[in-house]
This record gives sequence, structure tokens and C-alpha cells, in this order.
Amino acid sequence: MKFVFADSLDFVDPAYDFIADRNGAGRTIHRDDQFPHEFLDTSPYDGILVSRGIVGDALIPGKYTEAQLMRFRREGARRFLRYSREQFPDSMMMGDCGAFTYRNMPEPPYRAQDTVEFYGDGDFSHGCSPDHLIFDFDDQDAERSEKEIPEDIRIRFEITQQNAAEFLREAKSLGRRFVPMGVIQGWSAPSMAQAALNLAKMGYVYLAIGGTVPLRIEQIRRALAAIREVLPKQVRLHLLGFGKIEHLADLERYGVTSFDTTSPLVRAFKDSRKNYWARSKAGELSYYTAIRIPQATENNRLKVKALQGRLDQEEARQLEATALNGVRRLACREIDVEDALDAVMAYWEKLNWNDEASPSKRVQALDRQRRIYAQTLQDRPWEGCDCRVCREGGVEALIFRNSNRNKRRGMHNLHVFYKHLQDFRADAV
Amino acid sequence: MSSPHILHFDVVAPRQSESLPVFTFAARARDVERFARIERAGRDDSGTLRGFQRPQIAGHIREIRDYLEKPGAILPNPIIVAFTHSASLESGPSHDGVEGRFGRLAIDVSNGAPGWIVDGQQRFTALRDLHGSDFEVLVSGFICDCLEELQKQFILINNTRPLPKALVYELLPQVSDLPPRMSNRSQAALMTEALNYREGSALRGMIKQQTNPKGIIRDTVIQRLLMNSISDGVLRLYADDDRLLLDRGVNFVSEFFHAVRHVFSEDWEDKTPKTSRLVHGAGIIAMGYVMETVHVLTGAEDRDAFARGLRHLKGRTAWSSGEWAFGDERRRWNGLQNVPADIRQLSLHLVQELRRAIPRNEEVS
Repeated sequence: MKFVFADSLDFVDPAYDFIADRNGAGRTIHRDDQFPHEFLDTSPYDGILVSRGIVGDALIPGKYTEAQLMRFRREGARRFLRYSREQFPDSMMMGDCGAFTYRNMPEPPYRAQDTVEFYGDGDFSHGCSPDHLIFDFDDQDAERSEKEIPEDIRIRFEITQQNAAEFLREAKSLGRRFVPMGVIQGWSAPSMAQAALNLAKMGYVYLAIGGTVPLRIEQIRRALAAIREVLPKQVRLHLLGFGKIEHLADLERYGVTSFDTTSPLVRAFKDSRKNYWARSKAGELSYYTAIRIPQATENNRLKVKALQGRLDQEEARQLEATALNGVRRLACREIDVEDALDAVMAYWEKLNWNDEASPSKRVQALDRQRRIYAQTLQDRPWEGCDCRVCREGGVEALIFRNSNRNKRRGMHNLHVFYKHLQDFRADAV
Repeated sequence: MSSPHILHFDVVAPRQSESLPVFTFAARARDVERFARIERAGRDDSGTLRGFQRPQIAGHIREIRDYLEKPGAILPNPIIVAFTHSASLESGPSHDGVEGRFGRLAIDVSNGAPGWIVDGQQRFTALRDLHGSDFEVLVSGFICDCLEELQKQFILINNTRPLPKALVYELLPQVSDLPPRMSNRSQAALMTEALNYREGSALRGMIKQQTNPKGIIRDTVIQRLLMNSISDGVLRLYADDDRLLLDRGVNFVSEFFHAVRHVFSEDWEDKTPKTSRLVHGAGIIAMGYVMETVHVLTGAEDRDAFARGLRHLKGRTAWSSGEWAFGDERRRWNGLQNVPADIRQLSLHLVQELRRAIPRNEEVS
């Protein structure tokens, strides 16, 4: 089972100076930065997925700058991401349309032909047909038939199927090295199975299941079971945007060949609690909480407070410096956990993350937060990890602060997750 | 003899207003910290406005600090501090028979810092970050009766017009050792200057600058094209070396535009951005990507080779009449604007046309 990482320009500056909090001297964006497969000692995934929606174009503004977008299309995904076939043999370079970015449009802005052009320019090894998201998912034993569903859902289903048929024809121009993937969208397990069957009949040998992001694991199980039941064995399955990565066993059970996710990286800064990953002795994923020490004058939330005159920036800078110093001195074993926590919590209290809370609630919150942070600082998880993030940065990646720290922590999580997956695969054999 | 709560400074006190005594002196950041504070604009619980300064700008402070860390750093413009109370100015003994030129300032800091920083808070903050520095800064101050007068002075002092960006960009190439934010722009400005004034340049005299108001193509547009190439295109090979950029880089771009002028002469000669989109922001920037693509696909570096590539676009453009066909969408020639979506649309279209048109066997030369 292959793990494909969905990239959105997730790189870090290897020369970032944590003490001065700035990029390396003369750093040029992208050129001097490193993607996870460059920064870590070994690649933490088996392939990369790039969405058209992330790259962007005239129709959808993506995350890439205009110059980056044009360069991507000129050089191809592998050169742009520095993820060559030679260095990463058997890796997947997969494309999709990023249906979530145009979910509110009546129909996808992309057609089969321009999508094939995008995959051709990008020199992708795999690419998905242009699909359109369906958000409904029927409960078990309450599945609606095609006649019972609202017209807009039926249209989305048909557009996805129609595009897949056209895409398969158009993709022939990309030659045999390119594997077209038909995307499954449906409003229920049986409708997804029907979609899968249709795609297989068209001639697809690799299918991608879309629209699973909002689904519960139980719903995903039902969809997978229904799809697998109707599908010939040799047809491979990919699960698009699979965030429930604690449930790898389910994917294995239903013969999923590959899945993509950004979860390990993104949770490093979107999850307020489980943002630094570790593995327990039993081989389970476990989690720590990174210590929040935002930049006193650069953090947007604090900037707003300063604008309102509710935060004295001189004082905030002082508390910030003391908090950083506390954590670093703890890492060097110069002070104990309680002293470090005092410094961290003094700043935390000033930040007053929750304005509405009453004084007693704030005291409780402060207490709770202190206990959570105590766990991280006592266990010193950065000392037990051998990835480059922890080896070089030590405690810095456990400071929830700016992109260079937060994305490094995300790369550490990728490393941990990939190890977890490898063990899982070894067990599964 | 002086109490620890009274600070004294020898000052120069130029003769200005009778009612608002003005003085100037030198002090270290940690001295300034003792007698002056920054009071940011904000509202109290009843909604009343107090203070006047804006918040710190982290990037700006960092740039100043980087500069101040250099051995040759100077800071000739003073930090301005105002006092409404707790400060008094005594005239010193007269020199050369001129009275009131020198004096002695006494500041009472027993109740905290009484002065307000009116101008220079970012400089002051940067300076304070340089721990233990003996760097002295000029402090200019004045004493006024009330807060209202102080607010008025704050507005008058800070209500200056920044230099026009275009002039700053033109001045940039004259200056070395700039913060990185400016040096990218500086490289592009350097090349723009060369393209505009060098003999034999395809764009000679055509670029509209502060000092060349008769130019047709906006300098910022050319700079955008160059910056795109320096960051993500062929010019990035030379990005670390200004001399290479100026020599090979400028030549490369000039050769490309010689070809453009030749192949699309009816859309170029005597045209303005209003009459032809080729010399308009959208057209120029999109042609920058065409330059990259022709180079990558055919290896072109001189005007003849570029022209061979560009000919594939002949008859497929609508620079000054007709309409563009972007997939299913049709756009009148003058419907294109200098906005990101239009530039992307045009760029992707031209590049895709080239890819379709340039046969594979031409790709390696």
C-alpha cells in the first residue's frame, strides 16, 4: 500500500536561524529550500500528488506564484519538486484537479483536454479524471436510487462519469507511461459501486475514490466494501484525501493500492493538541503538544490586539524572549520543568487566547494548558527521535511558532508516520 | 549632586519657537528607554482614544537592525521625543555672545519615563535589540504644554510623503548592500536601466521611467518580467552575479525583444499600451514566459533563433485587433487587462500554442 503525499509547496529553509528567527543569509525561496524528501534522510512517502487547484491557473488562483506556475508547466512536476525518477524509482507522480477548490461551481472549470495538457506538461506518471464533488452520503439501508436524488447531485455524478470517458480517450496522447485514473463520486455506497463498475467497463485499470474527506470511517468502509465487491480484482484503487490515517487496516482489508494525505504535515500546525507525533513502544501513533510561543510582533492575532491598544508590544516582546529562553534552557538541562513552564505560561496568559472566558475559566484553562505542556517538556520527545528535524533542531521543532518550525514539525510527523506505515506493511505481509 | 531620578543632558537648543522649546543631544538606546516611552494608539474600555503610535513593524525593525549591525552603520536622523511635563530646559552660558544656543535639559524620571516617542519608534526598537551597544543616537525633543499640542506635532512630523516608488527603483542600482527585499528589485532595476540606455538594446529609450517619461513600456512591467526570470526562469543561472546579469542576462532579453519587434512589427512599432496589448503590461509579462519557453524548447539565445520560435505564434495572436480564443472563451484584443488572471490566461495560452506548434525534432538543437 503506497502513501502519496499531497504537496502544496511544503518546504523549509535548511539554513533557518532559530535564535535570530530568520532565514539563512541570502536565501532564495524554493532554490535554497528543501522539500520533505530532500530535508529528511530518506523520502517519507512513496509518491507526490499535485493538484491543479494548488498550482493554479487563469481560472483558479492557486498557491503557486505566477512565475512558479509557469515554471512548473515548463519543467514538469518532478523537476520542480526535485523528485526525479532516477533518485526515487517506482515513485508515483500523481495529478488531480483538486475538486474541493471548485466545489461551489455548477460544473468543474476543467475539461478533459486541458487536464491532459496539464498532466502532459507536468510529466505526471498518474493523473485523475476531472471530477465534481458530491457531499451527500446516505445512511446504511436508506440509500436513494438515482431517481430519488436531487438533480444537482445527479448532474455532478454524470459530469464526473462523462469527463472520465473523455479523459480516457484524450489521455492516450500521453503514451503508455501515463496511467489515467478514473475518479469515483457517488452519494452512497451502491452509487459509488455503480460508478466504479462503469469506469472499469470504460477500460480504466486504476480508480480513485473521491469525496471521502467529510466521511466517517464507517462510511468509508461501506463505500470500499461495495466498490470492491463489484470490481474485478486486478483493478487498483486509490483513496483521495484520506485523513483517517489511524485506520490503515481498513484500507488494507479492502485492497486499496494507494492513498494520499497531507495529514501528518498539516496536523503539525492545524491541530492544537496532537501536533508532534511519536510512536509508542507497542507501535501505535501517539502525540505530544508543541509549546505555543508566537512571534510577539508578527503574529496576526497579537498584531490585532496591539492595534486595539490591548497589548503592550514592548512587554509582549519581553515575555516572548523569556519564554523562548526558558524552553531552550530546559532543553540544555539548565533549569527544571517548573521554571520553564512559569516562563511559558506567563506569556501564554498575556496572549489570552480566549477573550470571552471568565476569570475562573481562564485560571482553569491556564492550569490545563500547563499540564499539557508539562507532559511535552518532561518527556523530552525530541531526544528520542533520530530524524533530521529533531537531530538538528532539537526542541525548536516543538515550539509552535512560525512556518519554518511548524513545517519542520510536520516533516518529523511524516517521518514518524512513514515508519509506522512501513511496520504496518511488514506486519500485513 | 543630581538625584538618581533626575537625568541631565547637555543640549543644543536652536532658536525656534518661544512657546515650544526645541533641543537636541546624543544618547544611547538604554538612556532613551529611561526617559521616553512609546504610547500606541488604542481605546480604553469606554472607547476613548489614547496614544498615537502605530504598532511595531517586525520586518522593518529587522531590516534596520541588520543595517545597524554593520560596522559602517550611521543613523543621522534623530529620534523625536516630546515632553508635556517633568522636563525643563535651562539656557546655558552664552558662547560667542549668542545667548540660548546651548543648554541643559533636566528630566524627572521618578514616575517612570515622561517622554513620548513621536518619531523613530521602529529605529529605537531595533537599536534596543542590539544588546549592550554603545551606539549613540541623536535625540531631538521639544516641550509642549498639553497632549493636544503633542498630537498635532505628531501628525505634522509624520505626515510626510514617501518617495515615489518609481524613483526609489531607479535609485536602487546606485546602492549596494541593500536588504534582501530590495536587492531582488535592485537587480531587476539594474537590468532595466541597461535595457533602456544601452546602445543596441531592443528596448532602448522605450521604458518609461521617472527620468524617461516619454517611454512606452512601464519600468515596473519590465522589472516584473525580469524578476520572474531571475526567480524561476533562465536568468536564475546568473542571479548570484550582477555582472553576469548585466552582461549575458541583458543581452539575452534584448535579443528576445529584437525578435519580438521583428516578428510582430505591426503590433510593436509606434504602438502604445492603448493601441497594442503587445507593449502593454499583460503582453510584456506573458512574452517573458514565451521567452523562457522558446529557450527551453529550442535552445534559442539570439534574435534569429528566437524569431524562428516566435514565428509559430504568427497569425495566432490578437495584439492590436481581433480576438483571442482561450479554450471556449473568446476575448477581444483590448479586453485583456494588467491583472493576474488575464496575465495567466494569456501566458498559458501562448505557451500552449508554442508547445503544439514547435515540432519535437526542433526541441533539441
